[in-house]
Amino acid sequence: MAGSSAVLEDGSVLSRIDLGLLRIERVLALISGLAVFSLMVLAVVSVSGRNAMNTPLPGYVDWIEQIMPLIAFMGISYTQRDGGHIRMDILVGRLKGRVLWTAEFITTLVALILILLLIWGSWAHFDRSFDWNAPLWSRDSTIDIALPLWPAKLLAPVAFSILSLRLVVQLVGYAKGIIGGGEPAGVPLNRSVAEQAAEEAAHVSGADT
Amino acid sequence: DEWSVSVWGKPRVFTSHIEKLNEILTEKTNGEFTLNISYGGLSSNRENLDGISIGAFEMAQFCAGYHRDKNPTLTVLELPFIGVNTLEEEVAVSNAVYATDAAKEDLGRWNAMLLMPSPMPQYNIVGTGEPADSLEKFEGMRVRATGGIGQAFQTVGAVPTSVTATEAYNAMESGVVDTVAFAQHAHFAYRTIDMADWWTANLNPGTVNCPVVVNTDAYDMLSDEHKAALMEAVPMAMDHYLAEYAKILDKWEGILAEKNVQKVTYSEEDLEKFRAAAAAPIRDQWIADMTAQGMPAQELYDTMMEALKASRM
Amino acid sequence: MEPIEIGIIVSLFLLAMVVLGMRVAFAAGVAGLIGLVWIFWNKFGYDPARFGKALTIAVKTAGQVPHGKVSSQALSLIPTFILIGYLAYYAGLTKALFEAAKKWVGWLPGGLAVSTVFATAGFAAVSGASVATSAVFARIAIPEMLKIGYDKRFAAGVVAAGGTLASLIPPSAILVIYAIIVEQDVGKLLLAGFIPGAFSAVIYGALIVGMALALPNFGPPVRGFTWGERFKALPPAFPIFFVVFIIICFIYNPFGGDAWGTPTEGGALGAFVVFLMALVHGMRWPQFKDALMETAKLSAMIFTIIWGVLIYVRFLGFADLPRAFSGWLTSLDQSPMMTLVLILLAYAVLGMFMDAIGMLLLTLPVVYPAVMALNGGEMVSAADSAFGMSGPMCAIWFGILVVKMAEFCLITPPIGLNCFVVAGVRPEVSVQDVFRGVTPFFVADALTIAGLVAFPQIVLWLPSQV
Ligand code: NA
Ligand code: NA
Repeated sequence: MAGSSAVLEDGSVLSRIDLGLLRIERVLALISGLAVFSLMVLAVVSVSGRNAMNTPLPGYVDWIEQIMPLIAFMGISYTQRDGGHIRMDILVGRLKGRVLWTAEFITTLVALILILLLIWGSWAHFDRSFDWNAPLWSRDSTIDIALPLWPAKLLAPVAFSILSLRLVVQLVGYAKGIIGGGEPAGVPLNRSVAEQAAEEAAHVSGADT
Repeated sequence: DEWSVSVWGKPRVFTSHIEKLNEILTEKTNGEFTLNISYGGLSSNRENLDGISIGAFEMAQFCAGYHRDKNPTLTVLELPFIGVNTLEEEVAVSNAVYATDAAKEDLGRWNAMLLMPSPMPQYNIVGTGEPADSLEKFEGMRVRATGGIGQAFQTVGAVPTSVTATEAYNAMESGVVDTVAFAQHAHFAYRTIDMADWWTANLNPGTVNCPVVVNTDAYDMLSDEHKAALMEAVPMAMDHYLAEYAKILDKWEGILAEKNVQKVTYSEEDLEKFRAAAAAPIRDQWIADMTAQGMPAQELYDTMMEALKASRM
Repeated sequence: MEPIEIGIIVSLFLLAMVVLGMRVAFAAGVAGLIGLVWIFWNKFGYDPARFGKALTIAVKTAGQVPHGKVSSQALSLIPTFILIGYLAYYAGLTKALFEAAKKWVGWLPGGLAVSTVFATAGFAAVSGASVATSAVFARIAIPEMLKIGYDKRFAAGVVAAGGTLASLIPPSAILVIYAIIVEQDVGKLLLAGFIPGAFSAVIYGALIVGMALALPNFGPPVRGFTWGERFKALPPAFPIFFVVFIIICFIYNPFGGDAWGTPTEGGALGAFVVFLMALVHGMRWPQFKDALMETAKLSAMIFTIIWGVLIYVRFLGFADLPRAFSGWLTSLDQSPMMTLVLILLAYAVLGMFMDAIGMLLLTLPVVYPAVMALNGGEMVSAADSAFGMSGPMCAIWFGILVVKMAEFCLITPPIGLNCFVVAGVRPEVSVQDVFRGVTPFFVADALTIAGLVAFPQIVLWLPSQV
């Protein structure tokens, strides 16, 4: 099921770090999924409150805006772990061995540089909305019921930091591939798209009675 | 100099003073100082102050109510039932508050300097069904109103409801809200006027305050000549804005008649009751909260009220 | 250097990174960030001492985008629509739909394939994602078709093509994405997808019937169901109509009274109803957790592309490229309709190599203003317009056309995601088989698109009733 990714596990230090990180990533992804579910619950509360008791949920929109970053950011590293962020693999799909690991190393390194810069930028974004001396430490708030925005803004640099750890693990894996030439642990292996799809289909099996 | 200006939406009366400012500046400086006005390309509307603080662009427009905590001093201008009746009065109270040291310091944290207001008329409400022509009828009414105006309606038993401006029409059509509080141009833009059976002509519950600011460093780097050109152009741009908005208000009267929208007028007695219920407690709460944060809240409020009085003399 | 030149160079660089296999989200983010640095440094006259300042401004500007852009109420529809699809599967709705369709239209020539198309169309009304729809039906419909002698390539092609209906028929994640990029009313766009989606399904069905009549040894019809059996097959599929009914009532009340709420609430409430059905049908924590994890993964994938591309779009805003492009396109010396057709053809070519969401996000900020300008502007009246429709209506029409093009790209080689998914689910069919089998549907899609271009009323009638 969800764990059956094509990431090689070989008991090496790198592989153990990969699995440790995966444990954190799974928890964060589950939080993201539960946040999606909470959107549904929130709508039910809002609609029934309005129609049954004429008391609409105050700040319904504000709460949705607070939940969205949870959904958008918490699963980002989990998705990167098995190569779930989409790309065009017409070219990469044809590479093999050291050439492949080198290509992967370069694109992953560029992604890491981007994410490190974005940790800086999104932290600055958080920092502008945070003030030790303000009530609730808030220097920016939602439009209706003035919820502080800094916790939601903080999620971006936090999630990006986990992602940057993941990218470092993958970089080390690719480096090992370049040196050793074999299939390294800790990186998503270049499965055919069909294999990927088969796995996707596994998630919707077993309930079609 | 070419300044980037971040606004949002489409070119409209609300941005007409900035467009005019560009026209006047270009002419005065023979094209040496111009504004490159971007409608939403440089920032989202709730992050224009952030962009100014970063230095991504030199001029921007925003509304204080979008983010109360970013600009606490300006929220005094969004208190309900201040008593402002005309756009000229709105300009007077805005400029008075903008000129205080407290407001300058507040915006100074964003490296921003207040240039001019974008005065908005009072957020009177349009509604469907039976008109709320007395205060009692506000009980249980669902109103789309944000911030201080929303709080004001709550004090007379109405239920403020969160709906974005773009969903306002939908919400009204679907009965999610019965009434919507907007300025006239927004009632046009978001088509809430198309749903209206009635409009509160003299309720005047309050409005939002949307200043135009410039990046302080960029201003300091201007030559004296360009600084002077900018400052001389501001009053002319404001006059243009007021003339343009007057046209909207004329059009508004025409549409009300054409669509047979009932104008609801409240007695002075009713208004007084509303003010007693809403204005005083919310104002006192605001002053207490802001004073606790170390802001000269009472002083700001008094400055505003004196400016209002002075503008009527 | 002029900002517009910087805009063009960086855009070409982005294209190169995507072709070389950089993940789309990160490629767009990198391009956007490099572009922003370049723009600000250009403004400072390439003074080496001020490079640090240009970098700081660029990084902080880009750093606003992820949080600022994803915390939007309208975007909340996307994860909701994805979750609905997974829950509907656990609620047993897929199987019920296929059985009902088989009993009602199985007697037609090519009956089982026609049933598959209608069942996918029905499932599309609760599923917001095309790929998920194809994956689900590949498991259910293909074995049945093979059992009665269908060509395996064709059977796989039907499922791959049928899955694309999920993005036209509401709920649709991709229509929501379009509405957000172009800042149009989500409810109206969702509503506008209904008839073109049904139209598309009917054309698919007609194509299958035609092929069955013309070709010998095509799959035989499935006959012999009694009326009793037919009516007994309906109730298990009814929940679909119930969910559709709820979602519609929240967008637009067909009874003429007030709608029940906003589209956002409707989507979320529909998902909740399906959740309850899945519980009744036996879904427990392990299945539910799996649905949540898969929703999280797909959502993270989509949102990362969204903010990554929006960093690039923010840079485009500073480079003023969209305005320049629409100026160029409207100055072309040919009829606006010709230009529109060329744009759609360009999407067909681009769609061969890109995925749907990435393609729309990357191109619409530039193409959409251009199309609106071609028609005569955002606020143009129908009488003064080039395409004979008002600005807001043109936005809806073009949205449906573009989404149909994006769906088309899910079944075209070499990168046709739906075909890969079908081949992945059925070990007995290869990717080449699916691409072969889906080819007749290119004709159907070309007909559908031509129909929507020639008769905009198919798209616009329903939303103009609201
Ligand atoms: Na759908
Ligand atoms: Na394709």
